[in-house]
Amino acid sequence: MAGLSGDPNLGVGDKIERLQYNNNSSNVAVDKEGLEGIGEESNSNNKNNQGGEKDMAGNSIHRSGSRPQLDLSKAEIQGNSEERHPAILLPNQSDDISHLALDIGGSLIKLVYFSRHEDQAVEDKRKKTVKERLGILNGNRRSYPVLGGRLHFVKFETSKLNECLDFISSKQLHCGRIDSHHWNSEAPANENAVIKATGGGAYKFADLFKERLGVSIEKEDEMDCLVAGANFLLKAIRHEAFTHMEGRKEFVQIDHNDMFPYLLVNVGSGISIIKVDGDGKFQRVSGTNVGGGTYWGLGRLLTKCNSFDELLELSQRGDNSTIDMLVGDIYGGMDYSKIGLSASTIASSFGKAISDKKELEDYRPEDISLSLLRMISYNIGQISYLNALQFGLKRIFFGGFFIRGHAYTMDTISFAVQFWSKGEAQAMFLRHEGFLGALGAFMSYQKHGLDDLLVHHLVERFPMGAPYTGGRIHGPPLGDLNEKISWMEKFVQKGTEITAPVPMAPPGTTGLGGFEVPSSKGATLRSDASALNVGVLHLVPTLEVFPLLTNPKMYEPNTIDLSDHKELEYWFTVLSEHLPDLVDKAVASEGGTDDAKRRGDAFARAFSAHLARLMEEPAAYGKLGLANLLELREECLREFQFHDAYRSIKQRENEASLAVLPDLLLELDHMDEEARLLTLIEGVLAANIFDWGSRACVDLYHKGTIIEIYRMSRNKMQRPWRVDDFDLFKERMLGSDGKKPEPHKRVLLFVDNSGADVVLGMLPLAREFLRRGTEVVLVANSLPALNDVTAMELPDIVAEAAKYTAL
Amino acid sequence: MDHLADASNQNSQPQTQISHLALDIGGSLIKLVYFCRYSDSCRDDYDDDELRSQNDSLCSKRGNSRPVLEGRLHFAKFETSKINDCLEFLRSMKLRIGGFHESTAPLSDKIFIKATGGGAYKFADLFKEKLGVSLDKEDEMECLVTGSNFLLKAVHQEAFTYLDSQKEFVQIDPNDLYPYLLVNIGSGVSMIKVDGDGKFERVSGTSLGGGTFWGLGRLLTKCKNFDELLELSHQGNNRVVDMLVGDIYGGTDYAKFGLSSTTIASSFGKAISDNKELDDYQPEDVSRSLLRMISNNIGQISYLNALRFGLKRIFFAGFFIRGHAYTMDTISVAVNFWSKGEAKAMFLRHEGFLGALGAFMSYEKQCLDGLIVHKMQQKFPISVSSAGDKIYCSQNSNSDENASIECTVYGT
Repeated sequence: MAGLSGDPNLGVGDKIERLQYNNNSSNVAVDKEGLEGIGEESNSNNKNNQGGEKDMAGNSIHRSGSRPQLDLSKAEIQGNSEERHPAILLPNQSDDISHLALDIGGSLIKLVYFSRHEDQAVEDKRKKTVKERLGILNGNRRSYPVLGGRLHFVKFETSKLNECLDFISSKQLHCGRIDSHHWNSEAPANENAVIKATGGGAYKFADLFKERLGVSIEKEDEMDCLVAGANFLLKAIRHEAFTHMEGRKEFVQIDHNDMFPYLLVNVGSGISIIKVDGDGKFQRVSGTNVGGGTYWGLGRLLTKCNSFDELLELSQRGDNSTIDMLVGDIYGGMDYSKIGLSASTIASSFGKAISDKKELEDYRPEDISLSLLRMISYNIGQISYLNALQFGLKRIFFGGFFIRGHAYTMDTISFAVQFWSKGEAQAMFLRHEGFLGALGAFMSYQKHGLDDLLVHHLVERFPMGAPYTGGRIHGPPLGDLNEKISWMEKFVQKGTEITAPVPMAPPGTTGLGGFEVPSSKGATLRSDASALNVGVLHLVPTLEVFPLLTNPKMYEPNTIDLSDHKELEYWFTVLSEHLPDLVDKAVASEGGTDDAKRRGDAFARAFSAHLARLMEEPAAYGKLGLANLLELREECLREFQFHDAYRSIKQRENEASLAVLPDLLLELDHMDEEARLLTLIEGVLAANIFDWGSRACVDLYHKGTIIEIYRMSRNKMQRPWRVDDFDLFKERMLGSDGKKPEPHKRVLLFVDNSGADVVLGMLPLAREFLRRGTEVVLVANSLPALNDVTAMELPDIVAEAAKYTAL
Repeated sequence: MDHLADASNQNSQPQTQISHLALDIGGSLIKLVYFCRYSDSCRDDYDDDELRSQNDSLCSKRGNSRPVLEGRLHFAKFETSKINDCLEFLRSMKLRIGGFHESTAPLSDKIFIKATGGGAYKFADLFKEKLGVSLDKEDEMECLVTGSNFLLKAVHQEAFTYLDSQKEFVQIDPNDLYPYLLVNIGSGVSMIKVDGDGKFERVSGTSLGGGTFWGLGRLLTKCKNFDELLELSHQGNNRVVDMLVGDIYGGTDYAKFGLSSTTIASSFGKAISDNKELDDYQPEDVSRSLLRMISNNIGQISYLNALRFGLKRIFFAGFFIRGHAYTMDTISVAVNFWSKGEAKAMFLRHEGFLGALGAFMSYEKQCLDGLIVHKMQQKFPISVSSAGDKIYCSQNSNSDENASIECTVYGT
């Protein structure tokens, strides 16, 4: 159970009713005090807001533009303040701040925006019905805000600024409302919103934004944003940083307490080298003018390529030895081993181009591109290392749009760092490399009242488009579900090859077609062997490792690491085979309508595409474990609005289990205490085989009744078990030497599957504890996953079970 | 005063005696250093009684215990791609390479020439075949360091600083020379930390060097030679091609980080524009931008390496520089900027000949035990252009890199 805290200024107080199964409020993570605390925070945040405004009001024209938002009752204060004093802002001022931030660079515009969970409405409805049915438990209900939302990452070419503007306006991102999906029904766009932006374009295009969207751009310092973005990513995202050597990618776990200092190298048009000592504590120590702009600029002049990506792609087929003068060229094919230079070391970039015999046209553009890429990457690596050395920094993080997850670029930079540091320093890359600035700008809203996003754990999830876009981070997931499904239907799958979709342009808008078609000429899925996907970041309540674990540090939710390819293949086969069955269940859970079928097909395609993509590039979405894979499937289901594919099955099983519960309880009550205790625990273990995730279980279901299977399986649970602390447990429960121990004060029972698992396994155990006067807290998932019981379903089950027992 | 021209044009004059020739065969250029004795016709070209008497007196002090040769060290260079011209030149000189003792024996296959640079390996067979001489290979870095140490210690007014177009000679105290950073900018760039005679370490290098300037420059401008490209850069304006801080920040400085609006944010960063093709850019501007990119980069990496080892003095040499004012200015500015004035960029007048000189010095080990340089005077810039395009030499009047050095060689 997690400590939950809301973020009132985000306005996403996703009020979820949670139920609690005993009367003691203190054992629930969030209690009344907690709520009030949040309320106060909200006030103080608004005070901060004023402070932020104070700084701005003096010199910002844009800011004054946002004034009319103020409540009329305060108008007089505002009138005076325009001249001498800053305005006092209203508590709802934060609503004016858009949850969109931009980084407008010379070549690309990067967007980061926040949205509320789109399944919001549906959940609300279902929650209500739960509430109604459980009227008796009303007194125990607590409500608290849960920050639920998503951070999206999107980019556009700066030269296609209009597409970006269309996108923003179609999603109404600029007008500060979070739930973008209901915008059509709401009032027209807020004319006075302010968007945070960084990068040179924040200056250059400010007028255009005002004119087209009616929003003002508030400029944030570029370096501040880069550092804030990098710190945020490194702290909040599990598999953000990785090394890349000789084509091998390895994720690096960053210890939050041992993160600083580090060197941040942002490779944009030019390069900034920043020493970061802490949050907001940094120094731009160096830089170089030989950067991404140099690569692209020189590349354009020399090759006639039309885009950066085209140039980069050319390099993959290049051979730089036709243009570069290598050590071997000077030394007649020999190494200069005395100083550690191999024959293939580049002695002079473009050094062979001095030959009289060849003109520009005689060189292959591929070779030129590779030579340029190596020259610049190598130089960046070298200068970065020398700066790291100067400050004794061991970790160098490279970000910026130049890198683009391009394998060769990263390899070259890594090689340079490795070579010059003799292995002492390490080059690391960031999956969200291109979005540091935009994220930083987004974070800067916090100065104006947002809670620290860092307290929330971010879970990265990949929308259905991810497999199709390779590493390219392109346009937005489509607007609504229907669009999404049609989009999926446009894919034509030919064998394992998935051809690009026809970009859709909804009538009336231009360029809102969601995904840009990958620019590669071949319509194949991917060309770059190291493309990385950047998913949508889901903000969920903080997940902390349960503190009472025997060894919390060793806890890894992913019990199976899929970095072993055989393991990966096995699980992919399992999941693929299971897919048709899952689709059937999912469609059934939604009533088996045509609409449900259509969604089911779309889900199957999307999930297959994810699997295919991951087979090809297991690390495409970060480090891959089984838990991630299962989570991906759930997310994919949710994306096509299958909120609980197993709902009907779960219900059926619960009913079946509840039917046999009285028998079981009777059997248990006839046992002596010691035997009962053992049987209870055996029962818990036995019932856990009722997991739809296991194929063995699915087979079992077709063979017998629940209670038979349960008993059969219980009899198989012979001690000793793999983890067997039963003797200790028994002593604690029953005592020794005839002395009765104090009962436990409180017990947390983590429940897993619906049906027999919870009803026949956990509930009898819970009952046993309750008998002893111990408080019992049942802990369950908040979101459905296969046949796992959810927190929302538990009250029903417990209420039903309570009918069979006096307790 | 056209020694070389004379020599190559007047093959009939056998009296031109060259002994102790050494070569540095690099990726782009072949550098020659050879010693020419006064006693021969070379000497007669000079009408410098004062000098002669000095030399005489020096000789007399030394006594007759061992042979003493007095004369001049000459410097010449060829493009490596025109190596045949170099071979032709050597043949025409009727080298008496083995001849420290005034041997007039023809070239024989027992003759060795000291050579360094990659070409000493690559072209060894060619020399054998065409001239019948064997190349005695000397390590490139060792030669660079030896040459540099020799110049800094022995030649008056060898080193100078160049900032804001002001050239200023630096007096080097031979007793307080080490350690220093030697940056040799040839086709590629080597950075060597020098701690003493023969004591050094190649600490770094970069592939963005003279070859990059000339190679990229050729592809981008159609210039026919390095000097033409360099010349073009004089008239260029890099703002047309480079993305400046001001371009990004709407003409203002990024003052927070001390970047003025004219600082180059991204070399060639403006060339990403869709509207212009290569032909739309002036070659002058392209050349200027290239030159600044490479010079600045070299200056920066050099400084970072100097910093690493706590070195205050950085000497820049190699053929990329060519005494070119703007190049030196850019390098100096880079070193000055990054070191906040702490470190100084210095240049050498014989910048291109370090390796060849070093190779020349290596004769000492075998048959020379002292090359005494006295009152070095760079009297005559060798203008060999009259020999057609065959012999490559700067015509820049500022450049006195090819000046010969008066010296005395003591044999065993």
